[in-house]
Amino acid sequence: MNGLKPRKDLLDIESLSLDEIEYVLENAVPFKQLFQRSVKKVPTLRGKTVLNLFYEPSTRTSSSFEVAANRMSADVTNFTISSSSVVKGESLLDTIETLQAMRSDYIVIRHQAAGVPGIVAKHTRASVLNAGDGYHAHPTQALLDAMTFREVYPDFRGRKVVIVGDLLHSRVARSTSTLFNKLGIEVGVLGPGSLVPEGRHDFMQRFGSWDEVFDWKPDAVYLLRVQMERQEGQFFPSIAEYHKMYGMHSERVQRMRELDCYLMHPGPVNRGVEITDEAMGYEKSLISTQVENGIAVRMAVLHWLKPETQLD
Amino acid sequence: MARLFKNGKIARADSADFRTADVLVNNKGVIESLGASLSVSEQVEIIDCEGCLLVPGMFDLNVHGREPGEEHAETLASCAEAAIHGGVTGLVLMPDTTPPVDSGNLVKSLQDLVSEVGSIRMLPAGCLTKGQKGERLAGFSGMVSRGIPMLTDSGNSVPCPDLLRRCMEYARDFDVLVATSCDTAALSKAGAVNEGKVSYRLGLPGIPAMSQEIAIDRNIRVAQHTGARLHLQQISTENAVKSVASAKEAGTKLSCEVSAHHLLLTEEQVVDYNTHFKLSPPLRIESDRAALVAGLIDGTVDVIASNHSPHSDFEKSADFGSAPFGVTGLETTVLAIYDGLIKPGVFGWDLLIERYSKRPREIIGLDPVAIEEGARAEFFVFDPNAETEMKRDYFKTKSPVTPFLDKTLAGAIRQTVV
Repeated sequence: MNGLKPRKDLLDIESLSLDEIEYVLENAVPFKQLFQRSVKKVPTLRGKTVLNLFYEPSTRTSSSFEVAANRMSADVTNFTISSSSVVKGESLLDTIETLQAMRSDYIVIRHQAAGVPGIVAKHTRASVLNAGDGYHAHPTQALLDAMTFREVYPDFRGRKVVIVGDLLHSRVARSTSTLFNKLGIEVGVLGPGSLVPEGRHDFMQRFGSWDEVFDWKPDAVYLLRVQMERQEGQFFPSIAEYHKMYGMHSERVQRMRELDCYLMHPGPVNRGVEITDEAMGYEKSLISTQVENGIAVRMAVLHWLKPETQLD
Repeated sequence: MARLFKNGKIARADSADFRTADVLVNNKGVIESLGASLSVSEQVEIIDCEGCLLVPGMFDLNVHGREPGEEHAETLASCAEAAIHGGVTGLVLMPDTTPPVDSGNLVKSLQDLVSEVGSIRMLPAGCLTKGQKGERLAGFSGMVSRGIPMLTDSGNSVPCPDLLRRCMEYARDFDVLVATSCDTAALSKAGAVNEGKVSYRLGLPGIPAMSQEIAIDRNIRVAQHTGARLHLQQISTENAVKSVASAKEAGTKLSCEVSAHHLLLTEEQVVDYNTHFKLSPPLRIESDRAALVAGLIDGTVDVIASNHSPHSDFEKSADFGSAPFGVTGLETTVLAIYDGLIKPGVFGWDLLIERYSKRPREIIGLDPVAIEEGARAEFFVFDPNAETEMKRDYFKTKSPVTPFLDKTLAGAIRQTVV
């Protein structure tokens, strides 16, 4: 139907071809247009089942997938497993057996351990959608970021995005920077040396300060969420110092305004840490557009993937 | 029955040249005669070794036998079978069993279990610290009097430099070898692969090279201070090779080992979260691999040791971060080295015999084995023109977890004589 080789799973960005990326991003557009209508549903996945399997707490991503599946008319089961009740690893094969027996057509999975969606994908006929695994990948986030960026910049090639914050522990940064790079968007990075590992992605230019960032004239600033509970005192001295060095506040917003630069964030936002309340009100913030596009992109991905449970 | 190995090419440690000869092994397992076209009586089994090498049996200084305690992964019997299958005719058993071998009585009971198996020489090592916990000295004198070849906490690095110092001071009086794996836990933390491009790409916590290098430098310094004999297990980085070279130059009583995996593979092979590539220390980068090969050739790296670490398929089927470290090596080391280093001409059989047969025995005070008249027959028949498919049914170990699974390696071990 689309000239692409059928794909069963979406596990990361690296393995996607440019054609596949284009296909998903183009398909997300009509799905988004659907949201303007009174009836936001299409019958595409009627009779199909989607299992939302979250080993890590998540409200945004799991509800985004749920809404996307509902709008495709699929039946959705939510399955949240608190990590304390799971003996990591050892029960994984047993869990997969159970999932296989449930005969879901699509499994949306988030897991604290990198690589788990791939293991599940290998052992099940269902399509597996990685909703975030460890520090590894968050492919639908990257796709929604790309969709959002392309909406405001149809001439996106050669444009510049700077990612700010914790690259070391961020699956969002890995997937989004990889996808932007594939699309020909230049990617820069700003953050403390303890959270920006050297030489990992050759395509990313590293900046030492906001001044350097603004001199580069980025078209968008992409703030990452600070994992406060894990990092304060370990990777940087204090939240206050982080905010001062890398946070987004009114003075920096003014610089962005002068550059006509957009603001992005994967959410949820730590107000007062990576961004202040007033900066949240910046007129060129794309944060809620990202949320909306998340649903459209996830619908497009559900539409695209081909579970082996289907007989045709 | 006596056996006659006809027309094999005899390999040895001191020369890259082979001597073609017939080898007659009598029914007591001793090489009775060796020479061209030996005449035979009728009671002799004749093994045609045309085109094959006869290679002295290997000796592995780092093997996890798993018995007692984890017999689901390996038993002493399956371990011995695997060793013989891989051309290894003697080995040192790491003491990290359940319970750990940390007293003379436990050494004795393990020696009894080994003698029940009876096929090859398997020498139980003793723990350096009680229960391998890194808190108190284990019972050295009882273990030494039972003839242990070394004291080691195997996979556990002694975390406290003061305790390591006391261990070495105490060990020096017994003139017993202290062997340490080298890791700085505060740096390696929950790491699962080498810290670098691959750990970043896979989103896995990394183990930096310096976590081993700092521990190596520290342990060398403690050895220099105490005068104890130190053996470094499983070195994995270029800087580690440099540290060992300069310590040896300074006269330190030091030896070290490397695994075939670290000589042949790098982090780049860790793809798709395949836990058969999760090793401790982790596979490093190409410059490390190359430095280890160079160190092996120039003698900075004394020996090859497999760090044979059986884990069941079930244990290894966990996600990469949760799966245990370690893979098996007894049945893959000789073949992998032949396939990856000898056949391409990086070095010859003489070096492999030196590093995996002669020198390991020397380090723990055993005589080398050689294929000569009057010697005990301990050798294997190697066919360089054949190939070995590393399918599951190839393996004798109970845990065929290895990076070489389902690969085809050049060469084949036809038979091992012990």
